Amino acid sequence: MIHTFDCLGHSFLLDVESGSVFIVDSLTKALVENLNSPVDYSRGEFSRYTTEEIEEAKSELDELIKEGVLDSAEPEHKKAEYNGVIKAMCLNISHMCNLRCEYCFADGGSYSGKMMNMSYEVAKKAIDFLIEKSGHRRNLEVDFFGGEPLLNLDVVKQTVAYARSIEKEKNKNFRFTITTNAVLLDDETIDFFNEEMYNVVLSIDGRKEVHNCVRKTATGEGSYDLAMQNALKFKQKRVGQYYIRGTYTALNKDFSKDVLYLNDCGFDQISIEPVVLPDTHRLALKKSDIPELIAEYETLVKEYFERRKTDKWFNFFHFMIDVYHGPCETKRLVGCGAGNEYVAVAPNGDIFPCHQFDGDGNYKLGNVLEGTFDTTLPEHFAKNNLLCKEDCRKCWAKYYCSGGCAANAIHYCGDINKPYKMTCELMRKRIECAIAVNSLENLK
Amino acid sequence: MKHIKVVAKSTICRDKHTGCGECQSSCQSACKTSCTVGNQSCEQQKINRNEKVDER
Repeated sequence: MIHTFDCLGHSFLLDVESGSVFIVDSLTKALVENLNSPVDYSRGEFSRYTTEEIEEAKSELDELIKEGVLDSAEPEHKKAEYNGVIKAMCLNISHMCNLRCEYCFADGGSYSGKMMNMSYEVAKKAIDFLIEKSGHRRNLEVDFFGGEPLLNLDVVKQTVAYARSIEKEKNKNFRFTITTNAVLLDDETIDFFNEEMYNVVLSIDGRKEVHNCVRKTATGEGSYDLAMQNALKFKQKRVGQYYIRGTYTALNKDFSKDVLYLNDCGFDQISIEPVVLPDTHRLALKKSDIPELIAEYETLVKEYFERRKTDKWFNFFHFMIDVYHGPCETKRLVGCGAGNEYVAVAPNGDIFPCHQFDGDGNYKLGNVLEGTFDTTLPEHFAKNNLLCKEDCRKCWAKYYCSGGCAANAIHYCGDINKPYKMTCELMRKRIECAIAVNSLENLK
Repeated sequence: MKHIKVVAKSTICRDKHTGCGECQSSCQSACKTSCTVGNQSCEQQKINRNEKVDER
């Protein structure tokens, strides 16, 4: 399968199975698009070219096809097997939140359950559980999530200290990450993050009016001023990875302005993602919005590409595909690993396939306090990888998105093997932009 | 080649040493709703793509 597309004034070929990428002229692109159909070269778009030019371009394509880097066949894949290894954990350290964001999938942090913080006892057991299940994997990831993790900062610190105290003895390397709304972020916490957090994600949606419209405090006030003030202080002191991570909704379909605004504020690591909500929600993005959203990504990628040549260089999370050093095929087939190598733990110790299943009794896998863990669902999640998703197997973007989010598939399509199509087209557009930027920057 | 510029060839690694699983889980990176694995990096060929590199 070959995917052709135009971006940033160039035409690209992506050989799906090999991952090869080429920049081509319009003649070559047209030849590829007609590769398996009879063509009268004296008519239509081909009539602009001489026979010599056409033969030359065909010969170049043939060379690549012979080499196996174009129009390559789907290889035999390794069989998906469940090995029981868990390497990443989302610790929902608090089911409480100081904000009431209108699009929150966690229902104000409580995940439709009791508002509570995780105790140190539960967190410690969760770390022990992760180590026990991690097999020979050395790198273990723990993401402090919520709710708002800073509402339970003492337990975050105790948990990190505990994991650090045993990681050498257990031959593990913990990578901690944290996602916070930044409202409670102070100097001492920033210093702690710099010492211990491999990555820090700060939730800010962009322009003040956009942010304040949906990210409000419990008393209904916009949270922008505090969040932004603290985020700027954080950025100045940050040592290590971070992201300013926002969500765009039906209210800001011109989200490229938010991305660029955040860059103008001084941030250089930015992620703004589409909201995922039922169609009936006032903030939901609808199928009819897709053309507008795709046009917005086109606007963004042009400005992004230009800014990266200047002192306003920045990194947009969804445009950062590296065509040279991407993940191996195994990773591309498995995807996020939810329910299999990645789990979430709720404040009461319940284990779920990922943070988006927290509180859903149908998806409870066990409990770290009780020492229970049923592998029936993890086996199901492990076996249902990209190769089981019929629609995805035919899609050119399959090795980049891996079949999409398992939780979205289950929650919005009722089947882990049915991709949530609302996000597919946006995903494909982002991947095209990412490949184009990376290709052009590397060819310079 | 006159009509084609090669950007990258055969980038999806399938050799027997792959699948070590030491790389980051995509949901742990920045997103929690719309992950892609394509923008992750292989732990064995780790480079920091979050930083500007002038001398490409």
